[in-house]
Order: sequence, then structure tokens, then C-alpha cells
Amino acid sequence: MERQYDVIVVGAGNGGLAAAANTAKAGCSTLLLEKHNLPGGCATSFRRGRFEFEPSLHELCSVGTEDRPNVVYKVFDDLGAKIDWCYEHDLFRTIVKGQDGYDITLKSGVDAFCDSMEEAVPGCYASVRAFLDLKPKIDAAIDYIYASKGNPNPVVMLVKHTDFMRTAGHSVEEVMTALGMPQKAQDLINTYWGYLGVPTDELNAMHFLNMLYGYVSDGAAMAHHRSHELSSALVDVIEKHGGEIRYNSEVTEFLYREDGSCCGVVANGEKLYAKEVISNVIPHNVFNMSDPKVIPEENLKLANAREFGISVATVYLGLDCTAEELGMNDYTVFIKGDSYPRDQYNNRLEDGLYIVNCLNKVVPDSSPEGTCTLFFTMPLFGCDMPRDLRPQDYKKFKNDLAKRYIEDAEKTLGISIVPHIEEISIATPVTFARYLGTPEGTIYGYKLSGWDSLMARTAGEKEDYAIPGLSFCGGHYIRGDGYSCAYIMGEMIGKRVAKRLKGGV
Amino acid sequence: MAEKKEKKPNLLRLNPLDFTKLTPVRKARIEAAPARELRPADTYVPNRIANALHPDVQYLKVTEIIEHDCDNKSYILGPDHAKGTDALAWFSAGQYLSLSMEIGESFATRPYSIASSPNDALKGEYRITVRRTAGGFVSGHILDTWKIGTPVTASQPLGEFTYEPLRDAKHIIGLAGGSGITPFRSLAYAVAEGIEDAQMTLLYGSRTKNDALFDEEFTALAEKCPAFRYVNVLSEETRDGCEHGFLTAELIRKYAPEGEYSVFVCGPSAMYRFLDEELPKLGLRRKFIRRELFGECRDPAKEEGYPGSKAASYQLTVRVSGKDTVMTCRADESLLAAMERAGVKAPSHCRSGECGWCRSKLVSGEVFVPKRMDGRREADFLYGFIHPCCTFPLSDIVLDVPPFHP
Ligand SMILES: Cc1cc2nc3c(=O)[nH]c(=O)nc-3n(C[C@H](O)[C@H](O)[C@H](O)COP(=O)(O)OP(=O)(O)OC[C@H]3O[C@@H](n4cnc5c(N)ncnc54)[C@H](O)[C@@H]3O)c2cc1C
Ligand code: FES
Repeated sequence: MERQYDVIVVGAGNGGLAAAANTAKAGCSTLLLEKHNLPGGCATSFRRGRFEFEPSLHELCSVGTEDRPNVVYKVFDDLGAKIDWCYEHDLFRTIVKGQDGYDITLKSGVDAFCDSMEEAVPGCYASVRAFLDLKPKIDAAIDYIYASKGNPNPVVMLVKHTDFMRTAGHSVEEVMTALGMPQKAQDLINTYWGYLGVPTDELNAMHFLNMLYGYVSDGAAMAHHRSHELSSALVDVIEKHGGEIRYNSEVTEFLYREDGSCCGVVANGEKLYAKEVISNVIPHNVFNMSDPKVIPEENLKLANAREFGISVATVYLGLDCTAEELGMNDYTVFIKGDSYPRDQYNNRLEDGLYIVNCLNKVVPDSSPEGTCTLFFTMPLFGCDMPRDLRPQDYKKFKNDLAKRYIEDAEKTLGISIVPHIEEISIATPVTFARYLGTPEGTIYGYKLSGWDSLMARTAGEKEDYAIPGLSFCGGHYIRGDGYSCAYIMGEMIGKRVAKRLKGGV
Repeated sequence: MAEKKEKKPNLLRLNPLDFTKLTPVRKARIEAAPARELRPADTYVPNRIANALHPDVQYLKVTEIIEHDCDNKSYILGPDHAKGTDALAWFSAGQYLSLSMEIGESFATRPYSIASSPNDALKGEYRITVRRTAGGFVSGHILDTWKIGTPVTASQPLGEFTYEPLRDAKHIIGLAGGSGITPFRSLAYAVAEGIEDAQMTLLYGSRTKNDALFDEEFTALAEKCPAFRYVNVLSEETRDGCEHGFLTAELIRKYAPEGEYSVFVCGPSAMYRFLDEELPKLGLRRKFIRRELFGECRDPAKEEGYPGSKAASYQLTVRVSGKDTVMTCRADESLLAAMERAGVKAPSHCRSGECGWCRSKLVSGEVFVPKRMDGRREADFLYGFIHPCCTFPLSDIVLDVPPFHP
């Protein structure tokens, strides 16, 4: 007779790990299945020569410190997972190339941030401050919505939480413009669209503000030993609490009871059963591994209505000189061909936006003495890959792409990179398709477009995920992508499922 | 309409009731979408390319055997359509295949460099060339039992011993010894056929010209192709048109171009040790020296920092998906070798500590890992993960190993 688990979690990405750690800690027998031989999904690391690269994390927001813990700190701390956090205090440097361009560095800390904004764009102070001041109002409204169990009194909302409704009901740019924020100040702050993959004329203001505030108030954090430390710490929690993790175990089918509720999966040809299944795998793939009869029509329509989120091309360089010798003084530099986010988005294949990170500025010993690493990120969609690209042309394709960006960074930053390249690795949506298995190699699940924004997703959660016994978490879930969101959602779902299993609701 | 300066910034011009439209707008969008079946992930362009380049497994069969002598044979491997492999994955010249096979009670993997041009893969051909290792377990088995039609299970092409245009100098000096010639054969064709935009001078060390594999082929290729130059370096024979002696710094300098060049090295361990003395004399930066993996460590006692073993062998408990198997592991064999001997299927590819494919959790026990082969991730040190292919027991061991899939 096959063993029945309380919970099977499919996929050991950030969401799956956080979910499994929470169910295991709550005392549910938990089996976590992962198709790769490592945990973490995007949150891992890889070695080339004497370097160990961070594959995906730019900076984690909403971490905080031991004294002032924020949500992400608490996700780990509550589980008893110890992370060696390293912090970055400059927000970012951003360069717009060309004649009317600029080169500006913004600071973190609410006051320092507003001051650095005022210095960059005289006269913007009040509007920037006003934008950040919306954050506590949003939190208060969300607390109220939760307290009312998702059924807030419309009158209370309208009277007491009007600014929340205005923020949550409009795009970033609508809200900033209403506050009278000068265009240049908007463009500067909205550099961050790159982390969410949706330009700010479409992106929900509340969502963006949550992320922005996380960076501005707490700065950014990274694990000392790349993201593999984060994933390993969660694995350790799962195993300490009696949970089981199976690597090299790709799930190929989801199993359902007569009544259409999910009751298990097939991995490596073996049927595995559980009272509840949590999928860190994107609904598209889950539906394609399920009996079509069990998928509610509305859920299938939703999947059809959605567009895939953005992916990236990335270049990882191990250099045989230090960051100082190279002349890299910043951890994060956003380099842009245009100042306006929508233009950057539209021009993503020519001269849009890309990010250069030098991890040594935050984690000095993240590469051997006398060396440093650079990490380039270019947002692009899986469907931007040339349709007729043949496997044998792929190496040249990715090297040409990398060359263009490296040379552009050399020119823009006035530094010499190529002669120092000791190790190189280049990833594209092909790479993410390979490791994550997502359609188009999306790393952000579904596009958080205007109609499918965080707010609207939150409201629709119950109907959108309607298969009994099957929960979802991860970048494709309601809060969208980003390590922080995936951890927070994983924790929420893990706790919710554990509670249900213990006889709660 | 210009806003008044003294006014505090506010959101009055945004209609709060727009918020109430979010859900209806979304619902309408969903309602309007078709309820059709979803396109499978592997039909998208990035997924299609990823799957073509990185198949989990390639089922092959021997289609031709070229006998160089009784201790060296080349095997042409083609796709085994009956088992579901229809095309061979493209690769970068210099990569290897990890072959897995059952031999008697044992289950083993071994890496073999692909010796053919990447273009041949498009025609359904990989070539590997196997040299007999004295006392070896798999090489002898291959040489003595493989026939035309023998099924072969291979990994996707793997490894980093490849030319990288943004990293390496345009001119490669290849230093080959013995069976280490195999990746250079592939690289030579890749250069000659313009797959890699580089030049290569191959210095091939052998005892006599007769021992040099592919000698005539390389000579002919060099005549035809200006980007490829070929030099025999013979240690036990003096011959016109060939160099006599070893792969010394002086010899490398003689053939090196003006300006920058990258040295690629592949050969037996004796050659690596010799070059450890010679290469520093060239004053090259580290980035210009690329070494192929060393392969298995055969004697941990010879490694720097080996603390010595109290016993000649230990008990090794291997846990796969919660099921334990107990076996003996000699102090001088890797944990992976012991598992293979016992017929436990454990994942592995490079067997050199580098690829991480064998990564497993050391539940209990003490081990030794040769420093030069330690390819672990930093966090793996914190949480007790090891690479069994280059880990030797110093006590009884309990090891949690991921399940194998081909
Ligand atoms: C990147 C790379 C590329 C390579 N390319 C080539 C190539 O192109 N051509 C080539 O000829 N070689 C190549 N090699 C070397 C090749 O992989 C093998 O190491 C070589 O063929 C010797 O293998 P062997 O099994 O005969 O010998 P060994 O590896 O020496 O076999 C002994 C091993 O088998 C174990 N063993 C002994 N008895 C048993 C048993 N009963 N059951 C299970 N295990 C047992 C031993 O403990 C020991 O680990 C390459 C190596 C690397 C790392
Ligand atoms: S098999 Fe590659 S590291 Fe062990």
C-alpha cells in the first residue's frame, strides 16, 4: 500500500520551500518533490572555475535586521532558519545614456532617499514624500480588509481608506502624476519597473509602492553565500521537522479523486498520495498534467487569458581584478537607453534597460581575493527569442548578445571589462526554460498587467484556484514574482494548508 | 491646469471608485477568454531549444567501430530511435558525454569526451575514443564487449572545456597527451569548419609517432586549414618534422603567436604534474590556462592534507528515498566507487568533483575531500553536503543520496 502524506509539495523553488517548511514545522508529514538535483529553482548558485555565481537574486526587499525585522526576516526566523544577511545601503545608481542623460545615485532610508531625490530633481521632494507616505495608509487599509475577513464595509472603505482605494485602483504613473511628481522624478523612481517586468503606466501603484518602500526603508539584503544559502536553510528546516525531500523527481501527473479533488501525484513513475497538494509549479503546467475533466472552466479561461511574465537574459562574469581595480563603485547600476519606462520596455531588444550588479560591493568575499564578479540582467520575454533560432546557433546568439551589453557597459561606465574575463556564463530564456520548465522560460509567472494586477488577483483568489485539495504558491501566484513575494506566499499557503489539516478552516 | 504650489500633494483628482472596477474588469477579461486546452510548455521557442540542447538522457547505439589498436578504439554512436532518441544534441567542441551502464552486479558511469565535430551530431553521429586503463573497470568492458548495435545510455553533452569567445584568446595552444587528444579532435574540426571563430595550434605529446592517435587525420586537416596547426611532440623518438622531448614552456613559446593566447590542457595526470612546473614559466594570467577535469582521484593518500585512515575500510550506509543499503567502502576508494561496486544507482557525471551532479547529504561520519577537486558550493559546507565522487571515508558513513534518473 502506498504511503499517504499529509502534504505533497511539488517544486522546491522559493514558494515550495517556504510552504513545505511551514507544513513540516506545523507537524504535517510533508514530501517535497523537485525535478532538479538541487533545491531553490532560481534561488541557487553555480560554480565556474574559482567562482560561485548568484544566478538570479539582485536584492531582497523587506528583509530588515534582527533589531528591526521585516516580513522576509520573519519568514526565516519563525522557521528557525539562520541566514547570514549582508546589506546594501545605496538604493541604486542609474544612468540614462546620451545627450540629455543623467547619472544619479539614490540612497536608502526614507529621509536620505527623499533628499537624494530632491538633489537630483529639485522641487520633487514633497511629491516623493507624499508617495511614500501612502504606504502606512495602504497597510492600515489592508489590515482592515483582513480583519473584515475579505468583506470590508464599502462605506468604511470609502470614508476611511479613500487614498488606499485611489492608490490600489490606479497605475504608478497615474498616482505619481496626481501627486504632481515631475516626470524626471517619476522616471528615476520607476527605474524599478525592471524588477517587476511591467512598465509603470500599467503596473498597479499599490504593488509598486510596497516594493519601493521595502527597498527604501530597509535597504536591500543578500545572503552571504548566494541564494543557495537561503534554499539550503529552508531544506534544513524541512528535514529537521521530519519532512522528506526527493530530488531528481519530476512530477509528470497530478492525481484526482472521483469528486475532482486532488489527492496526489506521479513522480518517477511512482504514485504518491496526500491529503493536500501544494504546487510551486505554474498552473499552465499543472493543468497539462491533469485530467481535463477536473479543471474548472473558469480556471482554464483564466490561464488562457493570461500572458506569461517577463524572463531575462543574464551574463555572469568572473573577473581577475578587484571591483576597485575595475572601477566599479556601486552594487547596482541600471543603464537605460531611454528615460521613460514604457520606452525602455518597448526597446528591450535594442537599447532598453539593463542592470549591472557587482556582488563584491555587498559581499566582499563572494569571490576569491583579487577578483570580483559582475552580473548583467536584461529583461526580455521568452517570445522575444528568434523563432527560427536553431540549437546549433544558440551559442553564437547568446555570445553576441552578451558582447553587446558588456561593451555598452564598458563605454557607459568608462571601465574595461573584457580583458579581465576569467569565467563567463550566459543565460537566456532558454536557460530558464531548461531549469524551471516554465512555458517560454518565464521567471515571473504571469504578467502582472493592468487587469491582472496584484489587487485584482487577491480579490479573485478563491475562484481562481478552485480545485479542492490543490493549492498554488510561487511567482505565478497572486503577489507575483520576486523572492520576497514567493517566500511570503509560500508561508501563507503552508500555514493555511497546515491549519486546514489540523481541523481549522 | 497648473497646480497651486502651496497645496500639499494629494490624490483628489483620482476617483476612488475606480478601485471597485478592478474585479469586474478582470472577471470580464477572464469570461471573454476561450476555455481551450493549453499549449504544452515544450512547444514554445525557448523550451524547444532547451530540450534540444539538454535532453535528460540520450539513448544511443554503436553504429561503427574503428580499431586503432587493441587498447584504443573509436566508437561511432547514433540515436537509438526505438528507444525514443531521434536526434543527437548539439554540443560545444570539448564537451563530454557521461555514459552509464550495468556491468555484472555493478552500475557505473564514466565521462568520455566527444571526439567528433559538432556538425557530425547533426548527421546523427557522436564519436568517442576509449583507451584501456590498466586495472580499469569500464574501459576494458567497453573495449572487450561493445559491438555494432550495442545500446549505450548517455547524458546530454556536459563540461566546460570549451572555447568561449568573450573569455579566451583567439589563438588556442592545445596541449594534449595520450587519450587526452579526444576533445582536441572535436575542437580541431570546430575550428576548421568555422564553428568556432578561433585558431588552434595543437602540440600533441606521445611516446612515438605511432602512438599518436588520429595522426594522419590531423596532418591532413592542418594542410587544408590555415586556422589549425599540428605539431607532434615525441618523447621516445626523433623524427623529421616532429619535436623531440616534452611539452615544455620553451616549446610552447616557440609555437605561440605574438600577443595573447589561451592554453588548453588535456592529458594524463603525469602530464598535468609536469605542466604545473612548466606553465608558470610562461607568465600567463590564470584566465589563459584552461585544464580539462582531472578525472577520478585514485589515491587519496597522495593528496595534500590527507590525515591518514585508521582502518582499511568502513561501513557505508546509503539512503535513497528513505531506503537504506549497507556496503563496505575502502578507505582508498571514493564513496561513489563503493556505491557503484554495490550496484547502487547513484547520480554522477564528471567524477571529478566539478559538476555537482552527485551532490549528497553526509548524514554522519568523517570524510576527506582532496582540495584540488573540491567543487562544492559554499552553503554546502554549512549544511553538510558533499560530492561523493571525490570524497573518501575516514569513519563509518551514512549518506543520503538523491534517486538516480538516467
Ligand atoms: C572529462 C573527462 C573526459 C574523458 N574523456 C575520455 C576519453 O575521451 N577517452 C578515454 O579513454 N577516457 C576518457 N576519460 C577517462 C574515462 O572517463 C575513464 O576514467 C577511463 O576510461 C578509465 O575508466 P575505467 O573504469 O576503465 O578505470 P577506472 O576508473 O580506474 O576504474 C576503476 C574504478 O572502478 C571502480 N571499480 C572497480 N571495480 C569495480 C566494480 N566491480 N564495480 C564498480 N566499480 C568498480 C574502482 O573503485 C575505481 O573507481 C575522461 C575523463 C574525464 C574526467
Ligand atoms: S560527478 Fe560531478 S561532482 Fe561528482
